[in-house]
Amino acid sequence: MKTILFDNIDEPGLNTLEVYERRGGYQALRKALSMSREDVLSEIMDSGIRGRGGAGFEMGRKVSFLPHGDMEKYLVCNADESEPGTFKDRELMQKSPHMLIEGIVIAAYAGEIARAFIYIRGEYQLQADILEAAIAEAQRAGYIGQDILASGMNLPLVLHRGAGAYICGEETGLLDSLEGKRGNPRLKPPFPAIEGLYHGPTLINNVETLSTVPAILNMGAAEYAKIGTESSTGTKLVSISGDVKRPGNYEIELGIPSREIIYGLAGGPPSGKEVKFWFPGGSSSPVLTKDDLDVPYDFDSLAKAGTMLGSGAIIVADESRRVLDTALKLAKFYAHESCGKCVPCREGTNWTHKMLQRIYTGEATPMDLDIMASVQEQIIGNCLCVLGDAMAMPIGSMVAKFRDELEGEIEAARERADGAPLEDVVALGVADEQAGPMPVH
Amino acid sequence: MPRPEQKTIQLTIDGREVGAVEGAMLVDAAKQGDVEIPYFCYEPKLGNPVGACRMCLVEIEGIPKLQTSCSTPVKDGMVVHTQTDRVRHAQNAVVEFLLINHPLDCPVCDKGGECPLQDITFGWGLGRSRMIEPKRHFEKPLALSPLVAIDRERCILCYRCVRFSQEVAEDYQLIFAERGAETYVATHDGHPYVAPFSGNIIELCPVGALTSQPYRFRARPWDIEGAGGICTLCPAQCNVTFTVRDDRVLRVLARDNAGVDDGWLCDKGRIANQSIHVDERITKPMVRDGGELREVSWERALETAAGLARHQGRTGALAGGQATNEEGFLLQRLLREGLDSADIDSRVGRGVEASTLRALSAPALQASVPDLEFAHTVLLVGVEPLDDAPILDLRIRKGVRRNGVKLAIASARPSALDANAAHIQRFAPGGEAGFLSDLIGALDGSATSTGQGLSTLATLLRDGGEDVVIIWSERMGNEAAGQLGRLAELLGLPGRDGAGLLEIPCGANGRGLREAGVRPDSGAGLAPLPGATNGRDALGIAQAAADGELTALYLLQTDPVRDQPDRALWERALHSVALVVAHASVLTEGLREHATVIFPAESHAEKEGTVVHPDGRVQRQRIAIAHPDEVRSGWAVLAELAARAGVDIDARRSADVFTELAAAVPFYAGLTLEEIGGRGVRWPEREAAGAAAAAADADAAPRTPNSHRSEPVLPNQGQLRLGTYRPIWAAPECEISPALKFLIPEQQLELAPQDAEWLGIGHGDEVTVTQNGTRIHARAFLRSAVPAGSAFLAEGIGGEESANTLTEPLIEVRKV
Repeated sequence: MKTILFDNIDEPGLNTLEVYERRGGYQALRKALSMSREDVLSEIMDSGIRGRGGAGFEMGRKVSFLPHGDMEKYLVCNADESEPGTFKDRELMQKSPHMLIEGIVIAAYAGEIARAFIYIRGEYQLQADILEAAIAEAQRAGYIGQDILASGMNLPLVLHRGAGAYICGEETGLLDSLEGKRGNPRLKPPFPAIEGLYHGPTLINNVETLSTVPAILNMGAAEYAKIGTESSTGTKLVSISGDVKRPGNYEIELGIPSREIIYGLAGGPPSGKEVKFWFPGGSSSPVLTKDDLDVPYDFDSLAKAGTMLGSGAIIVADESRRVLDTALKLAKFYAHESCGKCVPCREGTNWTHKMLQRIYTGEATPMDLDIMASVQEQIIGNCLCVLGDAMAMPIGSMVAKFRDELEGEIEAARERADGAPLEDVVALGVADEQAGPMPVH
Repeated sequence: MPRPEQKTIQLTIDGREVGAVEGAMLVDAAKQGDVEIPYFCYEPKLGNPVGACRMCLVEIEGIPKLQTSCSTPVKDGMVVHTQTDRVRHAQNAVVEFLLINHPLDCPVCDKGGECPLQDITFGWGLGRSRMIEPKRHFEKPLALSPLVAIDRERCILCYRCVRFSQEVAEDYQLIFAERGAETYVATHDGHPYVAPFSGNIIELCPVGALTSQPYRFRARPWDIEGAGGICTLCPAQCNVTFTVRDDRVLRVLARDNAGVDDGWLCDKGRIANQSIHVDERITKPMVRDGGELREVSWERALETAAGLARHQGRTGALAGGQATNEEGFLLQRLLREGLDSADIDSRVGRGVEASTLRALSAPALQASVPDLEFAHTVLLVGVEPLDDAPILDLRIRKGVRRNGVKLAIASARPSALDANAAHIQRFAPGGEAGFLSDLIGALDGSATSTGQGLSTLATLLRDGGEDVVIIWSERMGNEAAGQLGRLAELLGLPGRDGAGLLEIPCGANGRGLREAGVRPDSGAGLAPLPGATNGRDALGIAQAAADGELTALYLLQTDPVRDQPDRALWERALHSVALVVAHASVLTEGLREHATVIFPAESHAEKEGTVVHPDGRVQRQRIAIAHPDEVRSGWAVLAELAARAGVDIDARRSADVFTELAAAVPFYAGLTLEEIGGRGVRWPEREAAGAAAAAADADAAPRTPNSHRSEPVLPNQGQLRLGTYRPIWAAPECEISPALKFLIPEQQLELAPQDAEWLGIGHGDEVTVTQNGTRIHARAFLRSAVPAGSAFLAEGIGGEESANTLTEPLIEVRKV
């Protein structure tokens, strides 16, 4: 299979400048600096590369949105990799930090940007240390800082560590956090490309996206665009976890059948059991089932299947898993990570979490599944950022696709709880009176 | 800075063609078409929308997702739907979400009946809840501060209060703690939210989460009435609505007037209404009898006061800032026509001469309050807005934050606005005149050498854009003020829209009283007095009274022992005269000791009359509540005394006095109470202002070059230069308002850390401040922004520790 990012990934010492340069590192930057900014930008545009962080927006277009003129413009690399199931950026930064730095400098050159930041999640201590060392090396070698490679281009690069909030991976929440404020998403528009960090035009891209830029320059946009499908060009790092024999990061060509990843690369469920459901793009993507295994793994095919490619994190659950467990974990995670700024997300995630808990304690009725589905509908599309949707979409998909199983769970839990036959309660329609106080955890 | 041009565009809302200003937010534009879109978090006064509550979602053709109308600027041809099923579904959803953790304790909630959450629930909610889980619980209510109670269960986390603290008042105290559904409003360090403008968050809160401690449980909305008025506790003259129940003012709310206050109030204006209904207030006439003040009948009090007639030509009068134009006008008639005296003043200390004022009052030189928002540069000279006219502090912050106004501060004492300033120029206390003359030198090139700071400032003023507004204080004195005309000319300000001068007088209605003729050197309309008949100014009155040349004093809502410089001199003056007639509502020390007659004065909620805002806006005070007890109108008492003194006055209503005043002041010509209305009228914008322009020209002609210049006194070894200021809370009204007592300042000496070091003084130490054998006690307050060699004491705080006990510019400081 075609690899780009992972070509030399396991070479010892690739994180050092010496090895990276030996493997052709920073040649793309030299090439870029010998080209005009416009040409570099059109290379990025022509490559068709779409953002690898989750939204899948074309990087070239994002760069082209930046206004021209004499103003302070920023580049921010989003290294706050917090989507459950996603761990591709970690490997990239840990093993090939210079590839990211090189990509940042090229992108900054294309966007006439004079200041760059990497916002890395606080838990990535090791990766932050490695990046710091790499930045220092690159600085000494003249790849970043003042007058880069005697081209007259300046680009200070600052690494900033987050403090452990999922919402700071949302681009505007990240910007607020980087500015030293509470990490809350901002209203869009204005989009960061127009008004971002410190009110300046800001290009925000994911680690993987920026790390791909040197390869695009090296091989040429036309060559890169041949990889993958027409609307999903290139390769993608996929973090696969859950019930598979060989979990880990794999670089795949976009458009291959999902089955090839789950069964081919990762070996399928270890027990030999069947796949029950799987998240194709991190925990915020609506779940698919075993019937969807042949969906091609690219942006558009997954969207057509009612889900999304997201961050490229596949989480597999086999038949031994209960949907309820996963749903509760998810809801708890998102309720905990909701910033609280907008109402549907703050209240909706919290309510959903409480309803799922109630199923466990035997205090729910099948009617609650209707409420739960309706609450998810009330969240989707009504929030300030996508965090609310990130819970509502997978939970909604689980309620829709596994309703029978959830109803069974409700009945079983009720019987466990008090032995009262469910039918009686439903027939009376007095779910309200039946609900006792909830244990506060 | 040119104000943004307004272009009208057409859009369609629910099938109606609506005209709106381009760029206006959809939620506001919809009102033009009588379409109401519900919202909680949107409040344009707070700056850019945040889109947090999601209540205002609407459908816009061509955009797939629902959009928040609070953050969507209207465009020409936009087609908007607010009544579709999709929109209704989203609105129902938000109301349901908001209520699932709201306690719904409306029957015991102060907000009940005037609560946006109630109204929106009725209008846009489904009226049912499907949540059966326990609600979120917090300890409640808690004191967010002594003035504000917080009920976190009721809070819907709309961001308004936090945005106010962060982006309007910029005190940065309120924050959100925790995250998600656990989020709550708190102060960043857990301390009470004590700030000069904290009360505004009560009014901003769309639910009953933030309630006023003094107003809690005092009334329900159906018990109360609102009465528009003007707060005259300081020169900012904010427009207010008094909440009245059974002839008592229970609450003060802002009455948005972009020309004055932008819809904010300071906590003094908001809470000091308590002083209207406390036992300490004087509500009956009193006469000194056998050495003691005793309550007497009005007839007896008036009879005693009419004894002024025996002091013809030997009576001095002072008017305090709360007196109305009408009262001031009658007072000067009483003095001049009835008592044959010209010794009348409304200033503090020496003030600015009438000829200077006439020149500076030229309509072409007058800046308005909104100009502060749109100027290129705002220069403060010797003013601390937070203390002198608090609400302007917020206005200046707004200009700097939102429109990039460059702020330059030239003052002796550090300002609360320092952090917002593009340039700060510090000089020694009393150094305004020297500073202005140096600045003029730097601007016109006449200076031989200019300091680095001054030339930076000159460049900023000259090249930073034409629209410069200079705010100056009457306290700076005549020598400094006399140079402002030249400075304005050098900067090309005369006649320029959006630029000019804005003076902050010492008294709340200082400008109105001056224009009504309450000055020794000018009559009504600042007109020169015929012949050389100038009387004594405030300080002269004190001296003459102490020397026995004056034998009676008339004190209209002022206690000079507290309000004027040189406390000891005033004590002597009041002690020496035979008759002291006062109008007062609080028995401050000078009156308690020396007043012969005290008429109970009206509060600002009881007065009828007019006042003049520092920017020339004539505003109308209206009666919100009846006079309590035996209080009578100040103007009526003055009219009665004037009539008894033989002045020909035909005033049966306050309005009659106003008619007389408008006829006497050329630049008020034709002004009527109807024209003033509820929002006031800026007289410099009226046609009759030409009269003031003519008077200004006459005075501007013989301008003498700035040859004389007083140098600041140099301190000897071990001495500091003394500057004084009047803190925002230094007012008798605050002292008798129970809720504000915790803010009453005790004397503190602000000094630089380096001075404190060689004096061996630490922060919070008790110190004595000595001068010529006079000594006062204070607590040391180390402030790094104070320039070395200077120190500052508060005045107006009452008692012997007030700074007006000291009269000289230098002090010696010792640790106790």
